[in-house]
Formats: sequence, structure tokens, C-alpha cells
Amino acid sequence: MPEGLYYTREHEWVKLEGNLARVGVTDYAQDKLGDVVYVELSEVGKQVKQLAESKAKEMELGAVESIKAVSTVHSPLSGAVKETNATLQERPELINTSPYNEGWICLIEPRALEAELKNLMDAKAYAEYLKGLE
Amino acid sequence: MLREIGVASIDDLFVDIPEKIRLKRPLKLPQAMSELEVKRHMKAMLAKNKPFTQMLSFLGGGAWSHYIPSHVRALTQRSEFVTSYTPYQPEVSQGMLQTLFEYQSMVAELVELDVVNASMYDWASALGEAALMCARITHRKRFLIPKLISPGRRATLQTYAVGPGLEVAEIGYDRKTGQLDLSQIRAQLKKDTAGVYVENPSYLGFLETQVEEIANAVHKAGALFVVGVNPISLGLLKAPGDYGADIVVGEGQPLGNPVSFGGPCLGIFACRSEMKLVRQMPGRLIGMTTTLDGGKRGYCMALATREQYIRREQATSNICTNNSLCAVAAAFYLASLGPQGLRKVAERCAANASYAMKKLNAIHGLETPIFDAPHFNEFSLNCDDTHMSIEKLNSKLLKRGIQGGIPLRGEFPELGETGLLCTTELHSRECIDHLAKTLKEIVGGKR
Repeated sequence: MPEGLYYTREHEWVKLEGNLARVGVTDYAQDKLGDVVYVELSEVGKQVKQLAESKAKEMELGAVESIKAVSTVHSPLSGAVKETNATLQERPELINTSPYNEGWICLIEPRALEAELKNLMDAKAYAEYLKGLE
Repeated sequence: MLREIGVASIDDLFVDIPEKIRLKRPLKLPQAMSELEVKRHMKAMLAKNKPFTQMLSFLGGGAWSHYIPSHVRALTQRSEFVTSYTPYQPEVSQGMLQTLFEYQSMVAELVELDVVNASMYDWASALGEAALMCARITHRKRFLIPKLISPGRRATLQTYAVGPGLEVAEIGYDRKTGQLDLSQIRAQLKKDTAGVYVENPSYLGFLETQVEEIANAVHKAGALFVVGVNPISLGLLKAPGDYGADIVVGEGQPLGNPVSFGGPCLGIFACRSEMKLVRQMPGRLIGMTTTLDGGKRGYCMALATREQYIRREQATSNICTNNSLCAVAAAFYLASLGPQGLRKVAERCAANASYAMKKLNAIHGLETPIFDAPHFNEFSLNCDDTHMSIEKLNSKLLKRGIQGGIPLRGEFPELGETGLLCTTELHSRECIDHLAKTLKEIVGGKR
């Protein structure tokens, strides 16, 4: 579990890079999904909202499709999508082989970073959370 | 039986139904009949029908009567095909999967697009899905259709458009040639249009000759080009994939399926092999693969994860049951005829229509076709100059055992007293001569 990242209950990770936040799905998520065959990316410029209890369209960052399921990627933060990882269109398997690095999904410019970080977990809390799921 | 299920009387089964709404008298039904009596009764009722297959008919307009080779019906009616359900389990469904794969492959050759799904309900639902697919891919909300389109198809499309809030706009046509108004298309394309739909042959049977220009304009505007076809015509005409179609839809009924009370129909749906498109394509796709040891060929459903039964409300395909048996019939039909056979059928259809137009146009008071353009197997017939309505003309024909063309005035008042007639390879020269002779009598008799 990489330290210094923030995690959601839906198994997305956030890495702060200057005024931007890089987002992907966790190793746990890729393991549960199995072989990823396609990644649906959101449009650059899309305004997204941090995932809340009642899920809505504005909280979606795309979808990861494996041979057995399709799972929506929810936005861990509110803001604007600045960039998406176009490499995933040709090499979706990067989600499996490198979930925390080459398999990143998009870059977000957060709108309310400080307030919203409180809703995310650190590595230790996420590890505890995963234990609870087993 | 009551004792077996542990109740004292039949009334105990109805305790949950409030007393006051119960029917306290026997149903008003005729006396029970034996099987033999039921059969005789039903036969007597059915004898009142006048099946159009037993009269000389010129009806078409989206359902076309063609000769179906006996072995096509024999194979299609095999219980393995008739009773099979969605092939979720490839290990027990190889026969069905292979047949559907072959259907897809042959339709792909016919329309010249690489990806074909395992079928939709009919042409109209395929068109509705194509419009939604264009909107999903382009993130735009306008879809253009020709003004001269089958009313059923337009109504179905409009129903599909309601949910996602798609705007369906019409393109006008040239009054002399019926061809689409290119300047209208160009003007409309500026307004954030998702897709443009053209039918070839058109609903009124004539060919749209500007398809390449339309395709260019559509692609320049970043929209998708959708073409609707009668697949039989592709035995003769250029395939839509060869003139820039991104999506092809059509009515597969004429491929080995009979016309019977408006069906069964078979929706053809094909698209270019580009992931951006294929991912948003509706319906199921059957793929060919090899077994894990690499030794054997096998078939299975591909890309099932976008379907409703897996992806629920996020699905891009909401058709989980298709018209498999009709697709099976189409596969057998196409395989039986082969490219040469299909070409012969198409040539005969077109030649018959051409002959009929020549014969009927020579009759004083009748004009056919009303548009100056090449036609396939259907054509418009106008009788304004006879001062008779097309319905009147039809009823006079019917009295003489002939089913005339579909009246178009209700939907397209600007066309006047016009009907849509159809010929296929089933019509002999004598049939057409008989129609001409009869019409001449009717029209002449009026004067």
C-alpha cells in the first residue's frame, strides 16, 4: 500500500501533485476485477463531484471493464478533469500491471481540496478498511 | 388435488380476493368443446381470412415477400434452433453460436462493415438504437432523418429519442427527383448534429444518388453517417460501407423470413470496426475463438459486459433477447443463395419494378414513378388525373383479386393520390401485365 496517497471506500487512490491530483484504482480493485480489457475515460474539461452517499452522474470519472464486470470509477475529489491517460486505450492491462503508476486514470484540478481530503483515508486507514472487507 | 395441496375447497384458494369483487356467476363462455370441435371451429374462423399470399399482391413498404427455399424452412424449424434460448453457456450452445456468427459474417460482407451484431427486433428498433449510439459517441443531441421515411420507422425512432432527449429533425427533398436537399443537410450539420440517416433505397423505392457527398459532409462535421437498407438490394447496389457509412441498419425479414401479419422482422445492425464505435454498439456480438489448449475452434458471446444483465443501468446495450431464429433463417437463406443467387434475386426484383413502371405509366391518368430517379423494387404510383382516390383505386383492384399499393397521402399529403407498389422475383411478367390490364379497365371505365 503506497504511503502518502489518499484512498476511497470505492478503491480509488489520489496522489497530490502540486495543485493537481492524480487518480487511479487500487491494487485491491484491479485484483478483484481481473484482466482489464477496456477503460472508458471521461472527457477532459468535465466537472466532477466528490463521491457522496447518493451516487450521481457528476461523480463518475469513467469505467474500467474486465472480462467479468464493468466498474464505474468514481471521483475522489470535486473539480475539473485536466488530463486523462490516453495510453490506457491501447494498453488497458496497465491497470493490472501498474495500478499506482502507469495505470493512472486521470488528473483532476481540485476545487475544495482541503475540505474534501477529510473524507478520504490514508494508507493505514485504507489497509484497516480492506481487512474489514475480508 | 385439493387434498394434496392441503386446502378444503376451491374457495380457500381465493380467500385473499375481497368478497365484493369476486365474480359470483360462471364466466360467459360457450360450452366446452372437444379438440376436434375446437379445430373445426378455428378452421372455420381462419377461412374468413384472405391471406395476401393467395392473391396477386403489390404490397411492400418494409415487409417484402420473397421465395424461401424449402430447405431454409426445414433447417430453421429444427427444434435445436426453435427452442434454444440466449446462448449464455457456450459449452452447450456451439451450434446456435456458430450459426449466429455466420449470420454476422455474411451480413458484414453484404454491407461491407466489419462488425455486425447478432440481430435486433426490426429495422425500426435498429434505427432507434443507431440514433442513440450516435448521441453516445458524439455527445450531441440532434439526429437528422429524411422526410420521406416509413411512418412506423419514424414513430419508433421518436419513441427512442424521448428518454435521452434527442432531437429528431427532418431533411427535405427535391420535388422532381426525390433526392435529399444537400444544402439543408449542410445547414443542419452546423448545429451540433450527432448523426445523419439516409435510406437506400428510400421508403418510396428510389435510390439516393448523392450518398458519397452526404457522407463527406457528415464526416467533416464530426457526425456519424447511418444508412438504412433493404439487404436484398445489396445483391445489386454498392454496399454502404463502400460509400462511407459508419453504421448500417436494415430489415432482414426478406432474407428467408416470411411475411405474416406484419412479421416476424429482423433488425440488421452493423458498424465500422473501431473501438470507439463497437463499445457503444447495442445488441450482442458472437465471436470466434480457440479453446485454451489452442487446438479447437469455438464460439462465444463477446463484449457481454456492456449488456443490461451485467451492467444494469450503465448498459450501452439494453437488448438482451434478440431475434435469433430470424437471424438463423437469414443465415441459411444467404448461405443457400450465395452472392450470385442474391444478385439474381435483386436483378429480378429491379427488372420487374422497371417493367411495371413502364407498363403502368403508359396508362392514361396514371403516373409512375413520381420521382425522376433510379428505383429498386418499389415505386410510387400517382392517380391524381383519374380523379379517383388511391383508396378507391385499391378497393376496385381488391374486388378483382389484386392487392394494390400502400396509400401515402395520409403521411405525405404533398404527394397527392399516390400509392407505394412493390415487385419481387415472385411476380411474373403475366402478373404485372394482369395488373396493367386491370388498372386500364378501372381507369378507363371511370371516364
